[in-house]
Formats: sequence, C-alpha cells, structure tokens
Amino acid sequence: MPQTTIYVAPRTHERTPRPAVATQELARLFGRSAALAGISLRIGRGATIALLGPNGAGKTTLLRILATALRPSFGTAAVDGFDVTRDAGDVRRRIAFLSHDSGLYDDLTAAENLRFAATLRGLAEAEAAVATALATVGLTADAPRRVRGFSAGMRHRLALGRMLLGTPSLVLLDEPHATLDADGMALVDGLIEAWKAAGVTVLVASHQADRVIRLADGWARLDGGLLLEVGGTGISVGTPVVVGVAAPVAEA
Amino acid sequence: MGTRVLGIVALVAVLAASVNALFLVPADVNQGDAQRIMYVHVPSAWLGYLSFGVTALAGIGYLWKRDLRLDAVAVAGAEIGVMFTAFAIWGGMMWGRPVWGVFWQWEDPRLTTTALLLALYLGYLLFRRLTDDPHRRAARAAVVGIVAAVDIPIVHFSVEWWRGLHQGPTIGSPDKVLHPSAPGLFVLALVSMVVAFTLAWAWLMIRRYQLARIDWQIEEHGRLGRISAARRAVRAAATTPADGAAEGA
Amino acid sequence: MSALRADASAALAIARKDAIAELRGRQIAGSTLFFATLVLLLFGFALGPDSRRLAEAAPGLLWLAIVFGSLLIVARLHQLEAEDGALEELARYPIERHAIYLGKLLAGLAAVLVLGGVLLPVVAILYGIDLAAAWPALLATLVLGAIGLAAVGTFYAGVTVRMQAREVMLPLLMLPVVAPLLLATVKATSAALTANALGDLGAWLQLLIVFDVVMAVAGAATYGHLLEE
Repeated sequence: MPQTTIYVAPRTHERTPRPAVATQELARLFGRSAALAGISLRIGRGATIALLGPNGAGKTTLLRILATALRPSFGTAAVDGFDVTRDAGDVRRRIAFLSHDSGLYDDLTAAENLRFAATLRGLAEAEAAVATALATVGLTADAPRRVRGFSAGMRHRLALGRMLLGTPSLVLLDEPHATLDADGMALVDGLIEAWKAAGVTVLVASHQADRVIRLADGWARLDGGLLLEVGGTGISVGTPVVVGVAAPVAEA
Repeated sequence: MGTRVLGIVALVAVLAASVNALFLVPADVNQGDAQRIMYVHVPSAWLGYLSFGVTALAGIGYLWKRDLRLDAVAVAGAEIGVMFTAFAIWGGMMWGRPVWGVFWQWEDPRLTTTALLLALYLGYLLFRRLTDDPHRRAARAAVVGIVAAVDIPIVHFSVEWWRGLHQGPTIGSPDKVLHPSAPGLFVLALVSMVVAFTLAWAWLMIRRYQLARIDWQIEEHGRLGRISAARRAVRAAATTPADGAAEGA
Repeated sequence: MSALRADASAALAIARKDAIAELRGRQIAGSTLFFATLVLLLFGFALGPDSRRLAEAAPGLLWLAIVFGSLLIVARLHQLEAEDGALEELARYPIERHAIYLGKLLAGLAAVLVLGGVLLPVVAILYGIDLAAAWPALLATLVLGAIGLAAVGTFYAGVTVRMQAREVMLPLLMLPVVAPLLLATVKATSAALTANALGDLGAWLQLLIVFDVVMAVAGAATYGHLLEE
C-alpha cells in the first residue's frame, strides 16, 4: 500500500542542538482512550507555533504534558533539552502556561493573587512586576478587588497577567482567546507579538485557526491524538509521520 | 512448575505442623488447650505484618521503576495480608475469651496493633477501588501504603508503653509461648508453624501475583492496542483530501 | 543554603495565602469551632451528669473533639485548591513539592492550635477541671499534638482531595494512623492535669515528638507523588 510521507522541510530552527520543544513518540492514555497516540515533533527556539485540530485532538494534553502537569504514558518530551519527567523543576522554571482553569484564589484580591505567584517564582522586584502585569492586561483598577466577583473574561485576563511575571522561554497557551471580548482578544494577539519579538517560543492551541495562523510562524494539525501535518517554519516532525494523504504540503 | 512444588510442600508442612501443634504437643499447664490457638494466631499475625511490609516495599519499587508489575505485588500483599490479619484477630479473640475472660484486652499490644493494621489494610484496599487509572492508582496507593507502614511500629510501641505504664496483667500474656524459659517442644511447635504458614503465604502471594500480572498483561495490550487503533483510525480518516490545511507563515 | 531559603519562603507564602483566604472566607474557622464545641456538649450528655466521671474522661473527650475538628480543617484547606484548578497551578511553580506540603501543614497547624486553644477553656468549664496549674504542660501537649495532626491531616487531605468519596475516605484513612497520637496526647494531658510524676508526661511527649517527626518526614517525602497526574 503506497504511503506518502509528510514532513516539512526543515528551516532555520530545526538544527539547533537544543530545540525549545522536542517530543519523541509521546503518548498519553486516560483509562481506555488514547489522548495522544505517539507525537514526535521539534519546535525551534523563538518560533511561534499554532496547534490546530478539533476537540479531543490532543492539543490540551500535549500542552499539559509540556507544562509538567501530566506524565507521559509512553515516549518522551523535553523543553530546552530538559526532560519533563526527570528534570521537571528545570522545565517549570522556563515555562508559563495558560490552561482552561485560571487557578485563581477567589478570596484573594487580583493583586494578591499575582503577588503570590511572583513570590513562588522567586521574583526579586515583586511589587513592580505585579503592577506592570496588571497594567498590561488592563486590570489596574480592579487590583484591590477580590477575584470572587470577577467575570470569566476578567479572570482570564488576570491569568494572562500572571504569565507576565518572570521570564519564561516557552509560553504555552490553551485557547487564549476564549471568553474574551474583542479588546481582550486584541490583547492576546499583542502579547503573542510581544513574546515573539522577545524571542520567546510560543505554542498556541486554538479553535480560531485563522486568527492564530496570522500570528504564527508555523503550525501543526492534530487529530485523534496524532500529528497529521505540520507547516511553516520553526516546527518539524521528529520521525516521519506515515499517513496516506492526497495532496502534499507545498514548500514555502 | 516451581509454584506447584512450593504449593505441595506448603500444604504438607501446614498439615504436619498443625497436627503437631494441635494434638501432639502437650497442653499448657495454666491455659490448657486454649493456648494452642497461639500456634495459629502468632504466625498469622506475623504474616499480616510481613505482607504489609511487602506492600509498602513494592510501592516504593513502583514509584522508582514505574512498573505496574510491582503494583501487582503490592495488591497481592494487601489482599493476602488482610486475610491473615483478620484471622489473627479472630484467633486472638478466641484465645482471649477463655484465658482473660474477655474477648478484647486493650493493653495487649499485638491485638490492638493488629486491629489497627486491619483498619489500615481495609483503607488501602478501599482506596485502590476508588481510583481507575492504573498508573495513578499505583502511585497513590504506593504513597498511602508507605505512610501507613511507617505508622505501624509507632502504634506498636505506643501500646507497649501504655501497657507498661499501667502495669497490666502479666498472666495470660500470649507471648508466654515465646518466653525464653518455655519448654523446647513449645518453641519448636511454634517455629514449625511459622515456617509452614510462611511457605503457604509465599505460595498464595505468587498465585495472587500471577493473577494480577495476567490482568496487567491484558491491560498493557489494551493500552498499546488503543494506540495502534488510534493511528489506524486517523490513517483511514486522512485518506480523504485534507481540507482547511492552512498555509504556512 | 539558598535552596532552603527558597523552600521556606515558598512554604510561608503558601501558609500566609491560606490564612488570608480562610480569614476572609470565614468558612473553616466558624463552623469548625462550632462543631467541636457541639461534640463536647454531646459528650456531656452521653456520659451523664456525674461530674467526677466527666472530669476523668475530659482529656480523652477534649482530644477526640480536636481530632474531629482537624478533619474538617485539613479537608477544607485542600478544598481551597481544588476549586478552579488552583492545586494544579500550584504544582507547576518551580518550587519543591515538600515546600507545598510544608506550607499547607503550617496553615493547618495554626488552625488546629486555635481550635485547641478555644476548646481548652470550654472543656474546663463544661467538665469542671482546673487548668491553671498545668498550663505549660498542656500547651506543650497541644503544640505537639497539633503538629502531628497537621502533618498527617495535610497528607491525607492531599490524597483524597480529588477523590469521589472524599468526605468518608479522609477520616477512614487518617483516623487509624492518628491512634498513637490520640493515645499519647490524652495520656499526656491526664498526666499534666493530675500533676503526675514528670516521667510519665515526658515519655508521652517523647512519643509525640517521634510521631510528629516521622509523619512529617514521610508526608513531605511522598507529597509530590500526590500532585502528579
């Protein structure tokens, strides 16, 4: 049975000795179902990559494993050369993750939530960092209010603000545009641009394919826990994905 | 094959030692035939503790190697251990009634510690039942098992202290049969029972582990099968022309 | 040395955060104190009006109430994290797992100390005992007992935080393990109140110290595995 091998021609990033993200046959099972069924990819430093695919494709699972929130069932994953299982501490120092849940404490104020995060990240100038973060996401006025009264959009903004504390080298965003209004979405786009400019590697999972594709250097499409195709720059497949596909991806 | 030999040897040993302990060895001067229960109670209690130790060590092994077969050993230890522990408590109570006059004696360290051991076992097994994912269950059960195992010596010492401070009754101590001045026949009978029971325990553990390992093999095949099935499904779906395949940057 | 300081500062930050959240929420404090006092009242009804019998039983009843109260305390402290995925967020910071355990332990310890501090005068009133003479020994017992309860409780609360039947699993798992602590605290409290030979009290306090150290070390060493998915 003839099979077409798909992978993207490597660009500048692929050959760095320590790619920002490297996975090898990464798989994760939940009970009886495979959320990830063997993903091998490499993402270069400073690249902005969009993760596309329908619900249940495995995007969130992949992000959570990279964020050290989930253990892989099989295979390996590494961030900046650090294995997510063995060197979890080193990985955590380098990443910022925006997940579905905002992970905020309702009875604390917005400022207190951020100050807590800053302390746990070991930031020296916590107050200044917190103030800057709040200003960037437009929550300065709401800083002394308890999070309990916040809307979903405000919580989301606060969670985004929390990511601005510290200097991650890899940013993982899971549906960053969800629950936000037009201004909020523009804010997210702006943050992604800013990270890009700063040379931070960004991995964005989103349903809104058009929006993120415009911002991204490269993209990867997942479905059923497998990597179907990749495109653009900054991302390549670790081992060839053997899939029967009608049209090959054109090289840019 | 080796297991079968072990099983036969264990069976013969238990029968022989039991006949000896229950019929041949002379009865105790003070406690009469009731004292014979000790020959069954002491080995059971010992095996209850040993099993828990095995469960805890297997748990540590799992956390280190992440091999579910070690978790199978832990489960085997817990299930077999709970059996022997329950039996030990029952034996202790049956012995206590004629000798102490009551079923329960709070200051007997073996009885109270064993009762707590039973509670810890049951908690461990119940806890396992409430978690589905095999690796998650194995890791968390291992941790629960370790902390419980660490508690047991503390419990034992605290109850001994309790008894010591109270200057409780020295008569009717179940340890009489372990006393250094006990007649050789008694000690021999007890030791042979312990050895025989331990052989039986080893056989039970191996069988239980083999059962659990079959479960594990089915599980692993299932897991790997899911992954292959997922890949096949995606491959099948991808033979249709890809739509919405976005352009690169 | 700076690693130790980082751990300590993380633990303190977590403990402080819990304290603030709790004081503002007012969920644990009020209801737990109320519950524990109710328990003591009910014991009074159950064990009859004979004040001498109650006075004799007082140390046991006091510590039973503290143990039950601490179940509520540790459960609630971990529930704070279960909402909104905060525990998972907490686990992703570049801090040691045992620092998280320690932080929650400190928060639990403070709450149990407050509980004990309130219950002591309640017991004195309800069961007619005189605390004044023995207060240093009572304080020592309370502190050591509270540390043990916080150590064990934080661990098991972590075990059960995302489980289905957690309301029953927490006591089921935790209570057998605290049996020696209960024994030691009650004996120590009795010894303190009856102005017994210092030997007795000392022995039980030693046992408490051993329990506290062993359990805290075991909890700290294994807590990380509870945070994994």
